[in-house]
Amino acid sequence: MTTPAAELVGVSQRFGSFTAVDSIDLQIPRGRLTTLLGPSGCGKTTTLRMLAGYSAPTSGRILIDGDDATRLPPEKRNLGMVFQSYALFPHMTVADNVAYGPKMRKVPAAERRRRAGEALELVGLAHLADRKPKQLSGGQQQRVALARAIAIRPRLLLLDEPLSNLDARLRVQMRAEIRRIQSETGLTVVLVTHDQDEALEMSDEMVLMRSGKIVQSGAPRDVFPAPADRFVAEFLGYENFLTLADGRQAAVRPEHLRVLPADTSAATSADGGIVLDAVVLDVAYRGVDLLVTLEATDPAGNAVRLLADHRADTATGPTPSAGDRVRLLAPEARLAHLSADSTAAPTAPTTAPTASTAPTEGIS
Amino acid sequence: MSAVMSRTARLRHPVAGTLAVAGYVVMIVPILFVVATAFTAGSTLRFPPDGLSLRWFGEAVAYTPFMEAVVSSLQLAVLATGLALLLGVPVTLAIHRGKIPGKGLLEGLFLSPLVVPELVVGLALYQQLMIGLRLDNFTTLLLGHTALLLPYAVRVTGASLALADPALEEAARGLGASPLRAFVTVTLPMLRPGLISAGLLGFVTSFNNVPLSLLLQTRDFRTLPVTMLDYVQQSYDPMVAAASTLVLAATVVVAIVAERTVGFAKIFGGINR
Amino acid sequence: MRARSSLLLLLPGLAFLCVGFLLPAVAMLFAPPGVSFAQVLERMGAMLTDPYDLGIIWRTVRIGLIVTALCVVLGFPIASLLARSQSRWSGVLLALAIFPLLLSNVVRTFGWLVVLGSNGVIGQLLTGLGIVDEAPQLLYTELAIVLGLVQLFLPLAVITCYSAVAQVDPGLDEAARGLGASRTRAFWSVLVPLSLPGIVVAATLVFAGSVTAYTTPYLLGGSSQRMLSTQLFSYASVTVDWAAASATAIVMTVLVFLVSGISTLVGRKGATA
Ligand SMILES: Nc1ncnc2c1ncn2[C@@H]1O[C@H](COP(=O)(O)OP(=O)(O)OP(=O)(O)O)[C@@H](O)[C@H]1O
Ligand SMILES: [Mg+2]
Repeated sequence: MTTPAAELVGVSQRFGSFTAVDSIDLQIPRGRLTTLLGPSGCGKTTTLRMLAGYSAPTSGRILIDGDDATRLPPEKRNLGMVFQSYALFPHMTVADNVAYGPKMRKVPAAERRRRAGEALELVGLAHLADRKPKQLSGGQQQRVALARAIAIRPRLLLLDEPLSNLDARLRVQMRAEIRRIQSETGLTVVLVTHDQDEALEMSDEMVLMRSGKIVQSGAPRDVFPAPADRFVAEFLGYENFLTLADGRQAAVRPEHLRVLPADTSAATSADGGIVLDAVVLDVAYRGVDLLVTLEATDPAGNAVRLLADHRADTATGPTPSAGDRVRLLAPEARLAHLSADSTAAPTAPTTAPTASTAPTEGIS
Repeated sequence: MSAVMSRTARLRHPVAGTLAVAGYVVMIVPILFVVATAFTAGSTLRFPPDGLSLRWFGEAVAYTPFMEAVVSSLQLAVLATGLALLLGVPVTLAIHRGKIPGKGLLEGLFLSPLVVPELVVGLALYQQLMIGLRLDNFTTLLLGHTALLLPYAVRVTGASLALADPALEEAARGLGASPLRAFVTVTLPMLRPGLISAGLLGFVTSFNNVPLSLLLQTRDFRTLPVTMLDYVQQSYDPMVAAASTLVLAATVVVAIVAERTVGFAKIFGGINR
Repeated sequence: MRARSSLLLLLPGLAFLCVGFLLPAVAMLFAPPGVSFAQVLERMGAMLTDPYDLGIIWRTVRIGLIVTALCVVLGFPIASLLARSQSRWSGVLLALAIFPLLLSNVVRTFGWLVVLGSNGVIGQLLTGLGIVDEAPQLLYTELAIVLGLVQLFLPLAVITCYSAVAQVDPGLDEAARGLGASRTRAFWSVLVPLSLPGIVVAATLVFAGSVTAYTTPYLLGGSSQRMLSTQLFSYASVTVDWAAASATAIVMTVLVFLVSGISTLVGRKGATA
């Protein structure tokens, strides 16, 4: 196996008595896009800043290309960092901003200009080279910051919530843009985000963090259907949590909970899934579907409140309305079995009618 | 002090750290020597002092010209500061909240005493008011000091007022307060830090002033800094060091009051820690 | 607030400003007691050709420039270290840099008499260590004036630069470092250019203060190292030569206005560039 582009070994960061990052081990695979995902304050930025060299870890080692870089100052690491605020130099033109890195590397002026042009070309902003950062839109500034980081031909490209200052449409557009740049340049990218859609869509590898620790990591295809514990499940938009007859915990997404007429025979669901009798508490119209809030008793006998997305066009049976007795079906393939550890989040979101959207606490 | 500075600074940058230490030495060390020499038992101003005593403090306190000057300077500073606030706050209100043309020009006019050299203003007041109009020197000093402090009153309270959202006063009106009531209960409390800052700054500026007051002295009414200046020029004994140390102690008290009320650094504006 | 009530708020302050500052200042320039404006102009003409008077003007400007340069060179590092430091000492050090602004100039300048005087710290040190037989003349030199003025105006330079540095996003320093700039490179290519407007303001304040200061040249320069301010006092108070006093006042005021004007232009150009 090739050496990872970067590696954190037992890295911790303490601020006074508070531990922001707690002894994490992490390998950043070369040429891939890795996201650090987690709620606000979980230590994502702190981790990225230690990797970039802006703060020294309290303990642990940081390897870049297999070499110990723990004490290397940021200017010697050759990592391209894109700050959340972009941090463009306001007194320099776009071209000078992008050429700043090569200039610090004593690249001759002509070559510098060429490289800056190339990087700006890559982000599609070559025509704005002579503007000052203030004369650009937020999205354009973001691309300049990206071009500036790329122009130093970095060993890693580090992005701290690069899209969070953009409006919703631009954000979605830039996800694809960053992916394109990553695949065109073959760069190793580490991206910090608290938006799970962003992480799922962009990552080759996603790393979920909570309270300074890594709770789960892997490819989105592997992580999404199999959250390790309740915290990850909630973070990924699982709304419904049940205790099965054998005492194991399981999570189901609202879109996978089917609302059927009360007289549907239990045999229809003999594929090993769970069938529950439930009462409809509320039905909210959401355009594409209905958000149905229900009360049921789970296989272990606990009263639970559940959320289901009901699409009238694909579902069978009548449209549910408040007070109806219905039968709920959770297919076995859609049940995510959670590890029985104690990481259950203190606030159960089952009563919040936020449906399948992400927990919004992470927006900072 | 400089040890800490140098330690934190040198680690970051040796050249900047060295310059910073040099700066602190120039700013602070001469003041420390004043204090050290004030406690001498000998009769010349020298370092290290010949023995220790409080003798010169006794002499400074017993020296009538100094004590009279302290009283005069306090009177002048308190009156000028009060007057400047009394005149300046309405001006600030008119400039920030009034519907009048030429606000920028007006504000510039009230700040203009800061631009003209104080010594020149002193000369003008001496010639035109004391000699020309035969005003007595206390009145002239009061006029001059008040004009000198007006810029502080207008600018410092103006900065507070700019932070106070006019919508707050409108909200109070909507809740049933009369315009005066709304001003007194909503806006005035928000001006408090500005008033305290302007007051402290004005008091200190007036009390310490030399250039403006210099030409406006008479035998009957002399200010402390000018009296001390004259004394130093004539004789060179440790009594002035003792008097200076007393002034220093009083200034430390003012600084502590400033820190407790509005925050020391904020008094000088622009610094928000 | 209606225009009439605004005017009412404005009037008392305006009246005071006129009597205590504007009218006397204008009257002095054009009509000193018993002298015509033509005579003032004539005296000024003579001043600008007389080698002695020119020497004083040149010394004033020279000292002003040196002090300004020193205050920026020492003050900016202090300001940038304090603004960027996360140490809990930085608050104390900032307070220590600002405190002298509250302290009487006479007290601060007096410290240099203790340090530089014939029995002073430096003289004692040099003779005591046997480096020289006789203490060198340090007092009543240009060096003494420069030291005294740097001490006086360094705090002003520090707080002005501090506000400027504090407004520069620390993320920009980090971005520069990440792109390969050393601390020194980042300082010169990012922090200095972005703080330049503040540095220009600081330099202007220090220069204007230095060329108009009285206490320092009076105590530390004596009669051998006259500056415009001490010369003005001597015309007004010793020789009572009103024409010369007014002419000197005009030269001093023009000097200050000139530098303020230039710095405003520089600042404006910097802002639009
Ligand atoms: N310099 C510091 N001093 C003290 N505490 C800090 C410092 N920097 C970060 N922290 C704390 O460390 C924790 C992790 O912070 P960090 O900025 O890494 O979070 P994050 O995951 O990036 O969150 P966000 O999504 O809000 O940006 C937070 O609780 C924060 O308050
Ligand atoms: Mg963060």
